[in-house]
Amino acid sequence: MTISRTSRRTFLGLAAGSALGAFGLSACGTSGPAQPGGAASAPATGGGAAGAATMWALTGEPNEKIRKDSVDAFSKLGKGTIEVTFFQNDPYKAKIRTAVGAGQAPTLIFGWGGGILKSYADAGQVDDLTSWLGENAAFKNQYIASTWGAATIDDKIFAVPIQTTQPIVMYYNKTLFEKAGAQPPATWDDVMNLVNVFNGQGVAPFSLGGQSKWTSMMWLEYLFDRIGGPEVFNAIYANKPNAWSDPAVIESCTKVQELVKANGFAKGFSSIAADTNADQALLFTGKAAMLLQGAWVYGGMKSTAAKFVSSGLGYGNFPTVPGGKGDPKNTVGNPTNYFSISSKATEEEKTVAKAYFTDGLFTDAVVDAFIQSGGVPVVKSAASKLASSPDAPFLQFVYDMVDQAPNFQQSWDQALSPAQAEKLLNNIDQLFLLKITPEQFADAMNATIEA
Amino acid sequence: MAALAPLVEDRTQLLERGRAPGGAKSRLGILVVPALLMFLAFAFLPLIGVLVLSFTDWDGIGDIGFVGGQSWVEVLTDPGTWHAVWLTFAVMIITWLVQTPISLLLGTFIAGQQRYRAFLAVLFFLPLLMSSAAIAIAFKSLLDPNFGLSAGLHLPFLAQDWLGDPTLAFVTVIFVIAWQFIPFHTLLYQGGVRQIPEQMYEAAQIDGAGRVRQFFSITVPQLKYTIITSSTLMLVGSLVYFDLIWVLTQGGPGNATRILALDMYIRGFQANQMGAASVIGVILVVVGLVLTLIIQRLAGRDLAASQMEGM
Amino acid sequence: MSTTVATPVTAPPKVSSAQRRRVKGRRNYVGGLFAWLWLVIIIIPIYYVVITTFKDQGAYFTQNPLALPNPPTMTAYQEVVEANIIRYFFNSVIVTVGAVIPLVLFSFLASYAIVRGNSRLLRVSRSMFLLGLAIPLQATIIPIYLIITRIHMYDSLGALILPSIAFGIPLTVLILSNFIRDVPRELFESMRLDGCTDWQMAWRLAFPLTKPAIVTVSIYNGLNVWNGFLFALILTQSPEKRVMPLALWAFQGEYQVNIPAVLAAVVLSTLPILILYMVGRRQLLRGLTAGFGK
Repeated sequence: MTISRTSRRTFLGLAAGSALGAFGLSACGTSGPAQPGGAASAPATGGGAAGAATMWALTGEPNEKIRKDSVDAFSKLGKGTIEVTFFQNDPYKAKIRTAVGAGQAPTLIFGWGGGILKSYADAGQVDDLTSWLGENAAFKNQYIASTWGAATIDDKIFAVPIQTTQPIVMYYNKTLFEKAGAQPPATWDDVMNLVNVFNGQGVAPFSLGGQSKWTSMMWLEYLFDRIGGPEVFNAIYANKPNAWSDPAVIESCTKVQELVKANGFAKGFSSIAADTNADQALLFTGKAAMLLQGAWVYGGMKSTAAKFVSSGLGYGNFPTVPGGKGDPKNTVGNPTNYFSISSKATEEEKTVAKAYFTDGLFTDAVVDAFIQSGGVPVVKSAASKLASSPDAPFLQFVYDMVDQAPNFQQSWDQALSPAQAEKLLNNIDQLFLLKITPEQFADAMNATIEA
Repeated sequence: MAALAPLVEDRTQLLERGRAPGGAKSRLGILVVPALLMFLAFAFLPLIGVLVLSFTDWDGIGDIGFVGGQSWVEVLTDPGTWHAVWLTFAVMIITWLVQTPISLLLGTFIAGQQRYRAFLAVLFFLPLLMSSAAIAIAFKSLLDPNFGLSAGLHLPFLAQDWLGDPTLAFVTVIFVIAWQFIPFHTLLYQGGVRQIPEQMYEAAQIDGAGRVRQFFSITVPQLKYTIITSSTLMLVGSLVYFDLIWVLTQGGPGNATRILALDMYIRGFQANQMGAASVIGVILVVVGLVLTLIIQRLAGRDLAASQMEGM
Repeated sequence: MSTTVATPVTAPPKVSSAQRRRVKGRRNYVGGLFAWLWLVIIIIPIYYVVITTFKDQGAYFTQNPLALPNPPTMTAYQEVVEANIIRYFFNSVIVTVGAVIPLVLFSFLASYAIVRGNSRLLRVSRSMFLLGLAIPLQATIIPIYLIITRIHMYDSLGALILPSIAFGIPLTVLILSNFIRDVPRELFESMRLDGCTDWQMAWRLAFPLTKPAIVTVSIYNGLNVWNGFLFALILTQSPEKRVMPLALWAFQGEYQVNIPAVLAAVVLSTLPILILYMVGRRQLLRGLTAGFGK
């Protein structure tokens, strides 16, 4: 089977041609993410003199559409255009870090505040907005006060709140409670009693997506606060030596393990993944009585189990712990998401970005859109609009919770530095699997305290 | 032209490499240039970059600070690293032990049966057409103790803690990887078996050898090349395998499935310790190198042997 | 020219199927059992994937996961198509074809040279390729990112193609050189005596005889590039340049995931390849069984 001269040439030609063709189709690239791509540049409407900025945000409805609409509306104002690209959550985190590290970040950087924002600030990658906010007091005051906490590093503000607030809420299945003739738990003792009640009825007391470790973390976040007050985690955050050896830590871990041993969590909880919404499903299919999760699952459940949400869903704050020092009104969760301005952006881009803050971020249209989608935007103007929403009771509950909380603890995996957060989630996983004792947990976490 | 089978009478001829005499040598060098250039620019250069980074404590966004061997010490004294190394080898070896016999048997079977062959071959190949992420997502849902396979088939014993128990998670990972790649290796073995000349089996039959004997004395030895190719791809592939395990378990529960490639990703992109991640990267390169040398040594010996076994 | 008595054994001699079955008679029970068992293991997840794509997102949890959808709906597919998945698919094809063809071509030439030649350049190349066998993708991605942005290829499909070629070369060269080494010296010598150049020998002799290996590495590398996620994530950005693996993430938001849609994306991406495979299966097998018997 000799390849004749001609067919060999044909073959080679084909090979080279296809490779070159693929190349030609593809090679025209850019020199980095900070440059708006050719095909994707936003249409310049209005004043031609205004500049263009770039923005990265997360995929997923409803926020994606709301964000896109707000950017489109802003572009019509003539103060500049914004080119927005959406990424999925986990890949986004890898991508943004790479981009920032190469000095190629977009103008507007989407983030969660806390430890990662601190690392950006320390590396000089994001602008200090404190003085600008001082000049724009009206803009700053429109926000619920507690949302600035996660954006503040060493008394300087490096980011602006942008979305809805997501505290952690205790959800429960009202139908199951009626059947059991029980009340939602107000104290920890109630919790342990309910565990027996529901197990007796063949229903899991608590649903838990243990495979996604941050769901387990929520339990500890609340327990630390209820038992020892916010000072416990504040010491940890401030990297005080042996901060994890606080008695409140040990007590919280012990209580959690007691709950696990008493079969308080659904069977096989460490296999249940939150990202497939399996934990929510346990609640609305009546297989579990309660679920501790973020406010965001309300919207999710609304779209997949609307009937349950309207008639069978109850919600409340986390129970108190007898003898605990924490204010029962304290809450934990994600205060909101934030936009920072890349310090490597041009002046023109930064001007557009700031214009977006004041004129595009929380217009009435945007606020209404968030409320309609079942979320509480972090601005005070939302308070009066909540009543008109079909989800008014829940939204009002969330708003009050956040507004009246003396302390809103940011999720630990966002607040801590990434290196600490990674070890934390790992150790929490082991704790819930009963593989390590509370003391071992404390020791392991103490080792992560950054000197 | 007929492709010729070597009937070589002089064994020593085998062991000599076919070297072109004299002047043709210099011209041959050109042929390697395209591959070499590509490799240097986009693989070797980054590897140097990794080596350099392993001597820093870079966090990905700040200044790159050189700290000598600090990252190396940190990584090598971390018991987690050695656990990852052990896990990686365990995955490699168990994967080979699981996938090779199954692929061998299946490949042989499909090559033989005339009637069902086409039908089965198409179906068997399906897992390969799905991307790793897709497979992981599908299995994650299937393995849910409440809404997955066990609920679907009403088989409570299937409702184990597949992704939550450390041992089970490891087993699950091995299983899903096998599910994805056995089709590929089955294909290889199928091709290999069909090359085995019929006369050999007939001769053995006449000599009174049974099925099993024929399989082990004819099929397996004749498949030596295929086995080596398949094994090389399998072992090296599992060394850098990442996507499926990441989506399925993220290295959990705890560290139960945190093989080296995952350890590297977590250190680099989650804990933001690019220096430590680069150390793991260098370790992976070294392990890959050692692995290949071992395989090459085994392959070199077998080359001579199997040639003689041919007709 | 040395005389070699060659018994051509390219393809198995024609045996009737009855004869074959007689010859391979009893083995089939064990193999058969295995095969049917394996078929079940393969089919169940695939069946699950397909029927879930026809389910409503809400119904997904309330119905038996293995039950047929009731009622079936095309919403998931609608959402997927609206999300431009066709574009992603074509991008993936471009990247995969554009990477595998040069990869195999360059590697074949390099393998031939390494096996047949003996210069320092070739020996050094061989050692370098060995070094690159287990390249840690997650660690090299940052240096690659820096290189790509420096040469202004960020956010292009070429950015995905070039590193893919480079990364696949070591293993491909390894496998191919093993096969080329197997071609007996006499054949080369007889061709040289006929006046063939190295180039001709490579294409007329080595290439046909290493076809099985070439098919193997093409599939292997093709799969790897097709599935490659990390390169695409870091080196591209705009939606027009996205490839299939990224498409799956389009349906996973910060807190919610739309499982029927994700699986619909999977099905749509698999379908064309499936058709391609069904059509080209014979060619594939022929390629894998070409060459001399081993």
